[in-house]
Amino acid sequence: MNLPKLTPDQIKKLSLSVMGFIFLLYVYFNFFLGPLSKSRKEAQVAIADRQHKIASSKGEMQKATNLERQAKDAMTRFAALKTLSPEGAPIAWFPPRVKSFFTDQHIDKAVARLESNTTFKEAELGGWTKYNWVIELPQVDYTSLGDAVAALENTEPLLTITKISVHPVVEEPQFQQVAIAATTVIQKR
Amino acid sequence: MALHLNLLHEEILAERQRQRDPLKIGLLVLAGCGAILFLYYAWNAYQTIEIKSELSKVQNEWAKIEPQVTAAQKKSADLNNVITTTRVLDGYIDNRFFWAPVLEKISHCVAPNVQLTAIEGMVLDEDKGVTVSIEGVAAAREPRSAAEDLRQMLFEQLAKSYHDVKVEFRTLEDLETLANVGGVRTPMARYNIFITFRNTEAPKPTPAPTRVKHRDESS
Repeated sequence: MNLPKLTPDQIKKLSLSVMGFIFLLYVYFNFFLGPLSKSRKEAQVAIADRQHKIASSKGEMQKATNLERQAKDAMTRFAALKTLSPEGAPIAWFPPRVKSFFTDQHIDKAVARLESNTTFKEAELGGWTKYNWVIELPQVDYTSLGDAVAALENTEPLLTITKISVHPVVEEPQFQQVAIAATTVIQKR
Repeated sequence: MALHLNLLHEEILAERQRQRDPLKIGLLVLAGCGAILFLYYAWNAYQTIEIKSELSKVQNEWAKIEPQVTAAQKKSADLNNVITTTRVLDGYIDNRFFWAPVLEKISHCVAPNVQLTAIEGMVLDEDKGVTVSIEGVAAAREPRSAAEDLRQMLFEQLAKSYHDVKVEFRTLEDLETLANVGGVRTPMARYNIFITFRNTEAPKPTPAPTRVKHRDESS
């Protein structure tokens, strides 16, 4: 093939055209196609992220529904345990409650005193506090004491008797003088 | 055979040279490339627009779901909290020590010739067990043996329900004063019985690891 002979002027024009073409390609890829494909990739990443979130969220919602079904017993139990802690400061309601409990057990004199309160080490019981009480029964017979202690332990699941001390009343040896150290778990209000 | 004469030879040659002008060809090639690049760009732009519209659709869907998801996550966290708290509280309730059965057992052990003057019971921390101290007096022809009967009775009764039961005398001493039991003057002894036991079985120590004999060692 016979290539036409180019004049210097034509060569100059051609090389200028080639340079212009290269510059055009640079502009095209860097300022047009580059940002376009970048934004497309970002959009694709965002779509994948959102779709993953949507898919996992459906699982999350399903899990919450299942958990709600499973937790029914725990919730009922938790609500029941919460009702054992009435509103207000425990020192205001616990001693009268103890007094009325022992009155129901035919023990007339019962005094509850707050000794101390402590928080739990367990993180799960962060919303609960331990209260240490001393319950004094100045005059009680042994059988009534046994019945009352049994009833107290059965009706107050969050109460633990840690110490019990029974001594006879000097003037009336048929009666005992009793001191009970008890710990109650009460919800923080 | 027909004879063709080219009378416009110079003009045709000039025309051909004009057509083969490299600048013109270059410009045509450039225009072609430009068109291809433009089409490629347009195609990419179209795809990008499509993807962006899909993104906005997905974002709308997420915006609808997100509050429900946040609520579900919060609910899950609350429920898990309730479950673990209830489990820990149930553990606390189950591990309580009940004193009423102990008082009942003690009452069953007291014979008519034995009197209790003090009972002190305490639950030790960290599941170390329970201690009970019983003070009293026994009145019989052999008051020490009456006190020993009480000790044995307490051991038998408590061992039925508790573990690691120990019932020991701390003190057992004869008294000089005599008791009047049914008009009979009877010698007396004063005792202090100390009882320790566990509500649950003590954890067994883990066995020491045995050395595994390798084949090459046995030879």
